Amino acid sequence: MAKILTGGVGKTEVAEAVRRLGLDGVEVTVSGDMDAALLLRDGRADYYLGTCHTGAGASLGVLVGLLGQPACHTFGRGVPSADEVEALLAEGKRVFGFALDRAEAVAPLVARAISVRAE
Amino acid sequence: MSAAAGLALSLPQQLTVVALCALTAFVAHLALAVFNDGVRPFLLDFVQGRSTRAATTAVAFGLSAGFVFGLGAPMALASGVLNPWLLFLPTDVLGILAPKKWLGPLLGAGWGAVVVFGLGGANELAHDLPVDFLTAMREMSTPILYLFTLFPVLAVTRQFGRWRGAVVGVVELALVVLTSKLWPGMFPGALAMAVGVLLLIGFAVAKDVRRKGTREAPTAAADDPMASLFSAGAARLRRHLPLFMLLGAGICVLAQLKVFGGGEATSFLIAKGQYAEAAQVDFYRAFGFVPLIATTALASGAYGIAGFTLAYPIGYLMPNPLLAAVAGAAVFAVEVLALASIGRVLGRLPSVRDSSEQLRAAIGEALGLAILFGSLMAAHAMGGGLGILICGGLYLLNEAMGRPVVRMAAAPTAVIVGGVLLNLLYWLDLFTPLARVKG
Repeated sequence: MAKILTGGVGKTEVAEAVRRLGLDGVEVTVSGDMDAALLLRDGRADYYLGTCHTGAGASLGVLVGLLGQPACHTFGRGVPSADEVEALLAEGKRVFGFALDRAEAVAPLVARAISVRAE
Repeated sequence: MSAAAGLALSLPQQLTVVALCALTAFVAHLALAVFNDGVRPFLLDFVQGRSTRAATTAVAFGLSAGFVFGLGAPMALASGVLNPWLLFLPTDVLGILAPKKWLGPLLGAGWGAVVVFGLGGANELAHDLPVDFLTAMREMSTPILYLFTLFPVLAVTRQFGRWRGAVVGVVELALVVLTSKLWPGMFPGALAMAVGVLLLIGFAVAKDVRRKGTREAPTAAADDPMASLFSAGAARLRRHLPLFMLLGAGICVLAQLKVFGGGEATSFLIAKGQYAEAAQVDFYRAFGFVPLIATTALASGAYGIAGFTLAYPIGYLMPNPLLAAVAGAAVFAVEVLALASIGRVLGRLPSVRDSSEQLRAAIGEALGLAILFGSLMAAHAMGGGLGILICGGLYLLNEAMGRPVVRMAAAPTAVIVGGVLLNLLYWLDLFTPLARVKG
């Protein structure tokens, strides 16, 4: 079971969007950047999805500082392809930031890729 | 209210903008502050040498370019007033890009000059057109002010449920009615906004205080790595206090010039000369940004170019640039020195941090609707039904294409494009301007 935390401006919406997908092997919880950073660091959660207007400020917040840049990725205001997301997960990225106005497109994409890996 | 002449930049104003852009690029070069909240988290690795200047420039460019062309530039063209996205996102990138210390300020000054002369020329041109969209944009201020008044209601509803949201809504509405009855000279939403924000903060603090009783010390504050990361960041910023005071002075002077709007919608209020209202809007907007800027600054050791953005409203209200400079320097000094304690307090008050995010989302929603509605009113003022068709259509097209222009700026951009189109139609003798309101 992969534990996903959400944070940033659209944390509730993102969590709901992921829940609506009804994916296997994925559990999503609304959190925040500070709490999530500690949970991820201690291994009590696996992934973090953050949203804000830039896709990196409130989205990533303190996570880059605590988990290091190699674990973090921002899509900015862009929408990646499924292959790109898969490659990033394979690289070991666990923290993803994206723009609020692209969240409906990006959140399901990342969640599906995580679910595939979790199986 | 003078229209065209009021917004033309005088030589001292132009020089101020150029000098400030040089300074902000210099500060960005030193990785001491960036305007883009998204770039800030990445500066930690750069400062510590784990990431190169080129890689950091790429991140900054990727996160900023869309906002320069999709938010800053259209907002400036639509309002005729400068804004931080247009000025400071490019100086972030240019400053980080510059390989040498002296090159950063030079590139920044160059950008400042481009903006000042470009915007001046564009303004003059726009006002000379038979269909004048800059004057039509004055329609924006009423929806902006009145819908902005409601943002605390949205934030309370989202965070604390519909009942408390309804109560705050009724209280705010009553205050708006009361204010316009008792103090006709005052902006009717002034008191309502103040009370709404106080209620939101009150609910949040109360929730955190109650929680403290049931739970042990919250993990965030007690945790060691976070505390040491934060104190290192705060210490780095304190070491450069004089430079930050200079930066604060510059930002506050810029706001005092009355040719600059700090928030998404403030430019339209400044363009109309509503400085007291602009100050209120940007003051409350700051509540949505203080926790974000504080945590990203403490985690990265780099501050915000505009600090907590409190220097904007103070600048709008200052009587002259000299006082603005003193006030701006003082505000930044207090902010930088208080940063560590603000971080500690925020760590203990998760609900307040949450409120701030809800506030930001609520402001975005309220302003989004206001700007869309105001743009359609401007379109209507320019070209009646045809104006609405063109501008509304362009807005919807942007949505359908996956929002290449940021949603907040899409409608004003549509008004500019629509305005140009209506002028073309006028020259082809296919369209007669409705009313020529000229300054």
